[in-house]
Amino acid sequence: MPKIEISRADLASLLGAEVEEGAGSIRKPLLKLKAELESCGGDALKIELKDTNRPDLWCVEGVARGLRAIRTGRMDHLADLPPAGRELVVDESVSGIRPWIAAFAAGGPPLSALAVEALIASQEKLAGSFGRNRKTAAIGFYRLSGLTFPVTYAAVAPTTVFHPLGEERPMSLDEVLERTEVGRRYAPLLDGAAGYPLLKDSAGMVLSFPPVLNAEETGRISEGDSEIFCEVTGTDWHTVQLTAVILACNLEDRGFSIEPVRIIYPGSSPGGEEVCSPVPYADTLTAGFDLISSITGCPADPDAISDALSSMDYTSWLTGPNEVRAVLPPYRHDGMHPVDLVEDIAVARGFDAYPPLMPPDFTVGAPAPEEETSDALRTIMTGLGCEELLLPVLQSRERPGTAPPGAVSIRNPMTAEYSAVRNSLLPGLLGVESASGHSSYPHRLFEVGEVLLDEGGRLLTEIRLACTVFGNEAFFGDAHSILGAICSQRSARLSLRPAEDLRFVPGRCAEIMIEERPCGMIGELAPSLLTAAGIARPGSAFEVELAAFAIR
Amino acid sequence: MQGSELHPLERTLLSFLRDVGEAGESLILERSGLPDEGSYRRASQWLLSRGFARESSRTVESFVELGPLGEEALAAGGMPELLLESAVAAGAVDIAELQADARFDPPRWGSALGALIRAGALRREGSALSTAAPGAGPFRACWETVYEPLRSGSRVPLGSLTEAVRDLVLSRSPRRGRGRAEFVVVEKTSHVLAITPEGLEALDASDGEAAGAVTPAMLADGSWRKARFRRYDLDMPPSKIHCGRLHPYRSFLDAVRRKFVAMGFKEMRGSLAETEFWNNDSLFMPQFHPARDIHDVYFLDTDSRAGLPDQSTLDRVASTHEDGWETGSRGWEYRFDRAQAARAILRSQGTVLSARTLASGPAVPGKYFAIARCFRYDQVDATHLPDFFQIEGIVLGESINLRHLLGLLELFAVRIAGATEYEFCPAYFPFTEPSVELVVKHPDLGWMELGGAGLFRPEVTLPLGVEVPVIAWGLGLDRMAMLAMGLGDIRDLMTSDLSRLRRTTVLPDRILAEGR
Repeated sequence: MPKIEISRADLASLLGAEVEEGAGSIRKPLLKLKAELESCGGDALKIELKDTNRPDLWCVEGVARGLRAIRTGRMDHLADLPPAGRELVVDESVSGIRPWIAAFAAGGPPLSALAVEALIASQEKLAGSFGRNRKTAAIGFYRLSGLTFPVTYAAVAPTTVFHPLGEERPMSLDEVLERTEVGRRYAPLLDGAAGYPLLKDSAGMVLSFPPVLNAEETGRISEGDSEIFCEVTGTDWHTVQLTAVILACNLEDRGFSIEPVRIIYPGSSPGGEEVCSPVPYADTLTAGFDLISSITGCPADPDAISDALSSMDYTSWLTGPNEVRAVLPPYRHDGMHPVDLVEDIAVARGFDAYPPLMPPDFTVGAPAPEEETSDALRTIMTGLGCEELLLPVLQSRERPGTAPPGAVSIRNPMTAEYSAVRNSLLPGLLGVESASGHSSYPHRLFEVGEVLLDEGGRLLTEIRLACTVFGNEAFFGDAHSILGAICSQRSARLSLRPAEDLRFVPGRCAEIMIEERPCGMIGELAPSLLTAAGIARPGSAFEVELAAFAIR
Repeated sequence: MQGSELHPLERTLLSFLRDVGEAGESLILERSGLPDEGSYRRASQWLLSRGFARESSRTVESFVELGPLGEEALAAGGMPELLLESAVAAGAVDIAELQADARFDPPRWGSALGALIRAGALRREGSALSTAAPGAGPFRACWETVYEPLRSGSRVPLGSLTEAVRDLVLSRSPRRGRGRAEFVVVEKTSHVLAITPEGLEALDASDGEAAGAVTPAMLADGSWRKARFRRYDLDMPPSKIHCGRLHPYRSFLDAVRRKFVAMGFKEMRGSLAETEFWNNDSLFMPQFHPARDIHDVYFLDTDSRAGLPDQSTLDRVASTHEDGWETGSRGWEYRFDRAQAARAILRSQGTVLSARTLASGPAVPGKYFAIARCFRYDQVDATHLPDFFQIEGIVLGESINLRHLLGLLELFAVRIAGATEYEFCPAYFPFTEPSVELVVKHPDLGWMELGGAGLFRPEVTLPLGVEVPVIAWGLGLDRMAMLAMGLGDIRDLMTSDLSRLRRTTVLPDRILAEGR
C-alpha cells in the first residue's frame, strides 16, 4: 500500500481550488479513490493509497486528477498530440537485457520548486513500487536543450566511461556499479548481462546508464527548467508504457505540451516496429444493465451511470438501451473485466445508493467435526485440572523436544527462532515449563494444536493433544492417569506398547495404542532433554492424535 | 473472634484474674501461666476490647536497672566495695598496695573505701586497712538483691528492696540524668486488670472444650451431640486452589466460532502448508504480485508436495491468468509458471480455505467460515506475530449482490462488535470486485477497522467451477482480543509464562457484545 506525502499548496494549485488547513473537505472524496488521508500537518498531506493497480494515483498530480473528476467530471488527457518530432533508436543489444523504452519531450512554463519536488517524488514512487525497484521500469528526466537527436539506446561494454551525476569524475560503467551507492543497489538487475544499457545522443553525449543513474551534464532538471526530456526503460512493456503516460499526464496538468518521440525498435515490439511514445491507453469495457443490476442489487439508471462514470474520468455512452460502453482514461490500464466497470460505477455513486439487505438464504451452521472433538477433549482436560496453552507453530530448527527425524524447515526465515514448523507440541510445552519455574506447582499443562509432518513425499497437517506434568515428583503414572481418564470418558480402548524415543527415559516410554492403532507417545521425560530445555524438575508427558478420539 | 468464644490465651488470663480478683502486669507475667510478654499484651488487649476485663487502676512502679558504672561492676564480678572488702579480708592491708591493684578503678576505690569505713566494715589506721565488721553495710545485700537478679534477667522493683539497699540505690542513681551512674531508676506504668461480670459469664460459658473439625468418628458414635464447634473467622478471602482452565485467547475464539455457527455458517478447516496455487494463483493474484515474494511469504525447504488441484483445474486457472480463459476477462497477460504454482509455502491468508471450498462443490446457498492460523514474514514486535489468526469466509447464493454484502457487514458490525455506528469505505483486494471495508464504533473500544468483504471476481469463481455470485469476507479480531484480554503486546497472546497467563482473564461475552 503506497504512502505518499504531498504539498497541500501544490494540490490546491493543481485542483484550481483551495484546500483548507486540515484538508477535511477532501477526506470523503479521497475514499472514492481508495485513498486514506492519514495526517495533515501544515502543508504536508500524508495519504495512503490502497489500490495497487492504480499507480497514476501515487503522486499529487494523480490525486488532483482524481479529485477534479469527482468535482467537475471527465477531462481530456494527452488528446491531439502532435506528430513525433524526434527519434530514439533502440539497438538489438538491449533486447535480452532491458528491451523496452518509452520517451517524450515536454515544453511549458518554468518549473516551480514544488513541481520539481513532485516530479522527483513520483519518479521514485513509480520506479520503486510500480517498477519493482526499477526492474520493470526506471525513469530518467533530462534538460531537453542540451540534447541532439536521434538518441540511441544500446547495450555497451562495461568499460565504457561517462561522468555520472553527482560524482566528481568520469567512471566506467563497471566502476559505477562497484563504487557508487546507487550502483551497488541496482547492480543485481544487470547480473549476467553481456553489456550494460546506455542512452546517448548523436553528439556522443551520454544521457544516462539505465536503470542506475543519469549523466552529470544532461541528467538533471531543476527549478526554472521549461523544456524536458523524459524516458522510461524496463523489462515489462505495459509497466514502461503506463509509467510514461502517467508522467506525461502529470506534466500536461502543469501546463506542459507533450511532444511525442518515435521509438524505432530493431525488430517487433508489442506496439509494432515503430512506436510513437507516449502511447495513451484507451481500454474499453462494456457492461450490460443486467450485469450492473445483478451485481449492485439496484436497477441500472442510465443517467446516474453516466454521471458516475464521468466523475471517474471515463468517457461513456450507451451502445443500446441496456448496455453501456466506457473508455478508461489514458493513465489507467487496470480494467480487466466488466465487473471493474461496475465497481467504479458503484464507488462513484457512493455506497449510500445501495441500501443493505440481509443475505436472503437460510443455511444451517456447524462447527468443523475436528473442533467438536477438540472441544470435548479440552473440556475433559480442564476437568482434570490441566491448564491450556496456545503456542506458536513456528520454532527454531533444533528446539528440544522436536520429534525425530526433525521439523520442516523454512527456506527464508526471518530469525533463527522462527525457522522451522513444529512437528510436535512437546517443544512448546517444554518451553512453558522452562519459563515458569517460579509459578506455583503442580504444572499440568496441555495444548491442542496443529503440527506439520513431512512423510512419504507429502506435507501433512495433524491435530494433536499433548500434555506435560511437572513437579518436584512427577512420575510416568501422572501422565498415564490423565491419558487413562480421557480414554475412559471417550470410550476409547487404551493400551501401551513399549518403545524407544530419545526424548523419554529408556524403559519408561511407550507408544499409545487406541483401539489397537498406534497414535502417539507417552513417557517420563529424559533428563538429557530436561537439561537441554533448561528445566529443573522432573516431568512426564504424552502426545496423541486428536483423530484417535473422533466419533466414528 | 465473635460471640463468647475465647481464645486459649484469653481463657488463661481470664481464669487467673478470676482467681486473684485483680493483678498488675508483673504479677500476671509471673504467675498467670501466659508464656511471654507478647501473649500478655495480646490477651489483655482482646479482653479489654471485648469488655471481659477492665483496668481497675493504674500503678506506676519503679524498677531498678544498671547504669554504666553498674554494668562495669557486673563485668568486674563485684562492686568496688565488695572487692575492696574481700581484698582486705584476704590480707592486703596497705593502701598503696591496694591503689596499685589493677582491679580497682582509681576514681571509685577512694569513695568505695570511704563508704566501707562509714558503714563500719573497714577500719583505717594511717595507710593500713583492716576488717572491722565483715559484711557490714548494705553492699552485699545490694549485690544479692539488685545485681544478681538483674544479671539473670529478672526485674527488680524498687519497692522489693530493703530500706538500706533502697537508700543506697537512690543515692547512686542520677537525679537529673547527669554523669555516669551505678543505677538507674525507671518508672513503668502498670495496668491492673480485673475481671468483669461479662468476663465471668464468658468464662463459664466456655468451660468445656470447643471442637475444631467434624469427624467421622464423632458422627459414628454420636458424640457430636455433646460437642460445640468453635466459630470461624469468616472475614478472610478464600485460600487459592489450583485449577484447570482454557486458554483465554482460545476462549475468545471459541466465542467467535459460536457466533458464526449461530448465524448459519459452516466451519472450514485446512492445512498449514499450502501450494502457491491455492494460496495465491486460485485467487487470481498474479505470480509477479509484490505480496508474493520472499519478503511476505514463508517458503518451505522441502520437495514434498503440499497439494495441487487436479490437472484440469490447474489448466483453467493458468489460462485465466494468461488471457482470461472464458471468464470474459483480459487476464494478467503474462506467462503462468506451473512450477511456481506447485511451490510449498506456509499459508499466508485464510482466503485459501475459501478457494479450496469453492473448488470442492460447495452448497448453494451456502455460508462458510474459518478461523485460520496464517503466517507472514514479519518482524516480531508488539504489534506483529509471525503466526496469527484470520477469521474469514464466503457466502454463496443465486442472487447474492452488493446489497447483501453490505447487509452482511452490517450484521457483523452489530453481532460481533456490538457497534452502534459503522461506515463502509471502498476497498481493494486482488480477488474481489467490488470490495468494501467496514469501520465500526465499538461501545468500549471506539472507532476501529473491523474487516472487509467483496464479491469474488469471475476470474476466481469460474475456473473453480462456481457459477453463482460469492461474497468473500474477512475480519480482524486480534485488536479486539488484545483489548478484551487487557494486553498491550500481541506476543502475550501466546505467552510461555504461566504466571502471566494465569493472571490474564477474558470475558468474551462482554467484548463481543450483541447490539446493546
